[in-house]
Amino acid sequence: MAMLEKTTDVRALRHWEGDMEADYIYTTGIAGDKFFKEIKENAKITGTKCKKCEIVYVPPRMYCERCFENLEQWVDVSDKGIVHTYTICNMDLDGSKMDKPVIMAVIKLDGMHGGIIHKLGEVNPENVKIGMRVQAIFKNKKERVGSILDIKYFKPVK
Amino acid sequence: MTEKIKHFPGEKLSQKQIDEGEVTTVKHSPNVKYAWSCGEAMSRFLNEMKKGKLIGRKCNKCGRILFPPRMFCEECFRPTNEWVYLKDTGKIMTFSKSYLDTNAKRIKEPILVGVIAIEGASENMGFMHYFGEMDPDEIKIGMRVKAVWKDEKEREGAVTDIKYFRPLKEGE
Repeated sequence: MAMLEKTTDVRALRHWEGDMEADYIYTTGIAGDKFFKEIKENAKITGTKCKKCEIVYVPPRMYCERCFENLEQWVDVSDKGIVHTYTICNMDLDGSKMDKPVIMAVIKLDGMHGGIIHKLGEVNPENVKIGMRVQAIFKNKKERVGSILDIKYFKPVK
Repeated sequence: MTEKIKHFPGEKLSQKQIDEGEVTTVKHSPNVKYAWSCGEAMSRFLNEMKKGKLIGRKCNKCGRILFPPRMFCEECFRPTNEWVYLKDTGKIMTFSKSYLDTNAKRIKEPILVGVIAIEGASENMGFMHYFGEMDPDEIKIGMRVKAVWKDEKEREGAVTDIKYFRPLKEGE
């Protein structure tokens, strides 16, 4: 039977290799643009506020996700907040073990609803606690490019 | 635009605004490498291509000769039985004249592509390839064609080991 006459020499089998080009550029949008430029120029974190729902969105949105209202009121949010939740990463993106763990956290800044995801620094993994107060550490103005990575990390404050 | 919506909010951006960083962007080049295993039938098919031969696979129940070869007959739900060599001639089943190249750029001389019914294979066994050595106006369905192979040294065991199909000359 044909099914039993299988090739036993793996060298006779072939494969195709491919490398798909999937580069992309994504613009941050009207609200996103203002948000990142504010980080770049003034090292400030901004959001938009829905007057009706009394919710402050960070990163800012153009529309309220709850009531679909146009959001026109821009507010400065504090660069300080609390650790809402966190995780300690011992592996990098390829799954290799890292020498030093990276602490990723959801940080709820004072004045915002929800949280933003960022790294924690200047703290040992065993000392991180939920509810701990942290502050954003920005790069120097020269190094800032208008990215969320213009914030180096969040460090604990009293 | 729709009947209700005459204008979408937002503004049109130029390439310059993006290139010069006037607007903030996120750029990424994902690593999308892959390897696809050809399996038993396709591996043999490609190895035979390297030798300059076309091979099909026969199902002894329905008697069909499957081309390109498959290890399983999709009509009888059973394994196919034997290898059959086929000629490198056939008939054009359908074709297309493309005035766009593979990068979607406009071109003056069209690329001729189509599906060929290889001689000796059963009905509805299509083989997709390029056509050459013919005027774009003379191509038609039912035209008899023959494969033009690359030199033996250049062949690598790929469908492109056939450069294109040319019209069959009288007496061939």
